[in-house]
Amino acid sequence: MLALLAVTARRLGAALVLLIGASFLIYITIRSAPGDAVDAITPMGTPPEIKAQLAAEFGLDVDPVTGYGAWLKHSIVGDFGESLVIRPGEEVMAMAAPRFAKSLLLGGSALFLCLALTMLLSILMGEPTVRHQGLTGFLYFVTAAPSFVAAVFFTQGVNEFVRGVVEGSGYETPPWYPIPISTESVMPYFFAGIVLVIGDGLFMDMLNGIRAEILAVRNSQFIAAIRAKGASTLPHIAKNLIVPAVSAYVSRLPLVLGGVVIVEYVFTLDGGGYMLLEASKQRDFPVVVGLSVLFTASIIVLNLVADVIRTVVDPREVARGG
Amino acid sequence: MSVTDPAGPLLRVTDLVIEFDTPAGRRRVVDGVSFSVGEGEVLGILGESGSGKTMSTLAVLGLVHGRPGVVGGQIELRLGEERHALLDGLPEMLSPGSVAGSVRKDDRRWERHVHRRMRGIWGRGMTAVFQNPKHSLDPLMTIGRQLEESVRLSEPHLRPDAAGTRAIDWLAKVKLTDPARVHRSYAHELSGGMCQRAMIAIAIARLPQLLIADEPTTGLDTTVRAEIVELFRDLMHDRQRAMLYISHDIREVLYLADRVMVMRQGRIVEEASASDLERGVGRRHPYTATLLQAADLPVGEAA
Amino acid sequence: MEGKSHQLGLWLSGLVVAAVMLLGLVAPFVPYDAADAVSYDQILVTPSFAHPLGTDAQGRDVAIRLLKGTEAFFFPGLGAALVSVILGAIFGAIAGYSEGLLRSLVLGFLHLIDTLPRLVFIILVCTIRDPSIPLIASVTAVLFVPTVATVVRQKVETLASEDYILAHLAHGFRAVHVLAYHILWLQCRPLLVRQGAFVFGYVLFVETGLSYLGDYGVQEPDPSWGNMVAQVRDLAGLSPWPWLVPSAAIVATISGFLAFGNIVAARGEEVVR
Repeated sequence: MLALLAVTARRLGAALVLLIGASFLIYITIRSAPGDAVDAITPMGTPPEIKAQLAAEFGLDVDPVTGYGAWLKHSIVGDFGESLVIRPGEEVMAMAAPRFAKSLLLGGSALFLCLALTMLLSILMGEPTVRHQGLTGFLYFVTAAPSFVAAVFFTQGVNEFVRGVVEGSGYETPPWYPIPISTESVMPYFFAGIVLVIGDGLFMDMLNGIRAEILAVRNSQFIAAIRAKGASTLPHIAKNLIVPAVSAYVSRLPLVLGGVVIVEYVFTLDGGGYMLLEASKQRDFPVVVGLSVLFTASIIVLNLVADVIRTVVDPREVARGG
Repeated sequence: MSVTDPAGPLLRVTDLVIEFDTPAGRRRVVDGVSFSVGEGEVLGILGESGSGKTMSTLAVLGLVHGRPGVVGGQIELRLGEERHALLDGLPEMLSPGSVAGSVRKDDRRWERHVHRRMRGIWGRGMTAVFQNPKHSLDPLMTIGRQLEESVRLSEPHLRPDAAGTRAIDWLAKVKLTDPARVHRSYAHELSGGMCQRAMIAIAIARLPQLLIADEPTTGLDTTVRAEIVELFRDLMHDRQRAMLYISHDIREVLYLADRVMVMRQGRIVEEASASDLERGVGRRHPYTATLLQAADLPVGEAA
Repeated sequence: MEGKSHQLGLWLSGLVVAAVMLLGLVAPFVPYDAADAVSYDQILVTPSFAHPLGTDAQGRDVAIRLLKGTEAFFFPGLGAALVSVILGAIFGAIAGYSEGLLRSLVLGFLHLIDTLPRLVFIILVCTIRDPSIPLIASVTAVLFVPTVATVVRQKVETLASEDYILAHLAHGFRAVHVLAYHILWLQCRPLLVRQGAFVFGYVLFVETGLSYLGDYGVQEPDPSWGNMVAQVRDLAGLSPWPWLVPSAAIVATISGFLAFGNIVAARGEEVVR
């Protein structure tokens, strides 16, 4: 128990270092702006006093290390300054956090669905056989669609098809669509989640990984030994799959949380990804940086959670000392 | 021994055939093997790696993976009055054609079928100890929990604390020093020899009629090997269970077994009593003769 | 048997990879003036001999735009794949082989890059610098170094204790030679092909995605498979050809590259075993 706490504490420390490192990386990226940094990051015609305020906020007028210190001092408590363009004068944190939470929920639950589906499919498919070839090929093709292509199929393709059928049979143009485009219902979120799950080739990557893990556990010697003594193998298999499943989940987070940006834009969902792209297009710099930090920090925190789960489940993690 | 038991032997394997598909084509790893084990008897199976000895025993356990796997033969286990034909229904599961070219129609159906049939047999009927003890234990569960799982299956009405005490008894029985510490340890915290002792405790705690030991000493240090062999000898002393002891070490097999079977390239080339082999009585197959010679034992008459 | 079961998939995906390679290599030599190709008397023509894949809403030939659209991602994608594979192999080998402080530093650095959400970081860079496809491809290459490095590191860690590797070292071969030739070249090649294919697919995804969204990718009238799909917004269901063809091309290319990489890696593992 004490060893467990020690390992967890060390993991927490590592996560903090990672957070500092990632924020420094983001800061260095900001400083790499060509020419006059303030000009590069603000829209044209920004009044000079706002430019001066920005320069002070991001420490652009001093050397990178001092500047980073100044920036970190207020950004670490969640103060990312005020929005310039999309909602001038509003606190970035106050406007971005709720939006970001939506994105995290969308990406997180989509990835969870992906994990559950791949596990189910792996169990159903079992050992790889020649018979699976067709299915695998089909899955490769279907799931490789980038999210925006899948979204186009879902929204335009299905809706236009239905409209064509309805009109072709002599009725008037329907006032509704099978896949709603309005942002008011939950349905767009549902479809966005599906698109995230099947899009970007993520599904096959995950399926291959999870399937290999399940086969490795099922065919391992200790499962044979448990069978031979006449005990049920299910709890043993399930417990031994927790660590691979958690690892598979967090390792795909950076990909999925990035994918959320495009999916939200295509489905016009008012999440953090949509806001990020809007802010980026209109050069609302504090919002872009604030959201980037939030996205990155969430990945680091979820990695920490995964590490703690791994340590609790697998005693060998404690032995390895984290 | 009790091979002449009127009720017949405990285990009877007849004409067992196992084949695997490899990149180089179909390979027959076990080619018509027949043998039997009487109640309380120790049968040693001797052979080099790839001789089919492990595959034969895995087939008895119903744990052969891979395609096509078991394609022919019969395995019969007698538990008290009941007789279990473990490969019943196999011919119907094979696609038509000669045995040599046969493929199972539905591997998963056959696997489920075997597992269902073996459910009442695994454990009380027979159980196994494998080589590589560290990989035979669930890495995420303490030895104690795994042993208690066995104890509770054997004695379902035992109270939880009584099961814990019983588990420690079993650990003491396999001569583990400090059983209480082993009880709360994980596999990665123990040495190979300790893991194998724990594994043996888990197996015999199921009170099996037949214990299958598949190269249980391979990969262990020489001194530890000797201790494990000695433990098996002690455990078999009371003749409460029969044992199939598989090894490539002729000395181990002769020390433990009543009867010895020598396998090579998927076939049985020799079957004799251990005492005959040890004393060099009777005619010997050339391969057995080589094995005996290599171990500095009297060869007797080479056929 | 296992090897045979991959045969069909290998041929199919190999065909896709070869076709994309061919298109990508030929495209730069085909003259095309995107601004000049508009012809309003040939709008939304269905496939014919003159226009094998039809024309779009501005009367431009879909087939030639599909061909020229490969320019947007082909060389950037190849470059990104190459860079991340080379850097990933180097960092992975160092992380797997070295010990102590160097190992911790390299691992920490890789972990750091790996926590950046891919597309979010690309958009951040696009906000700060002038967005261009080569810039996006370079950022993608760097972001995928940890993914490649992890695979290589695991391989190096398992192989470093293998007897034949130790034997080579004992025979006096230099560690760098053993690492580069015996481990990276002989053992990791299929894995590196797989990772490279994955990065290529991702560059295609980002390029077409951003071009579809319209601000940071390829701008009209220049063709990109992404902005060709985006035309769906103006078509109102009139003709599926202008957006269905590039959609299918994107899906086929990404699935082809992914499947090709996975099958090559799976076969490589079988051969090693």
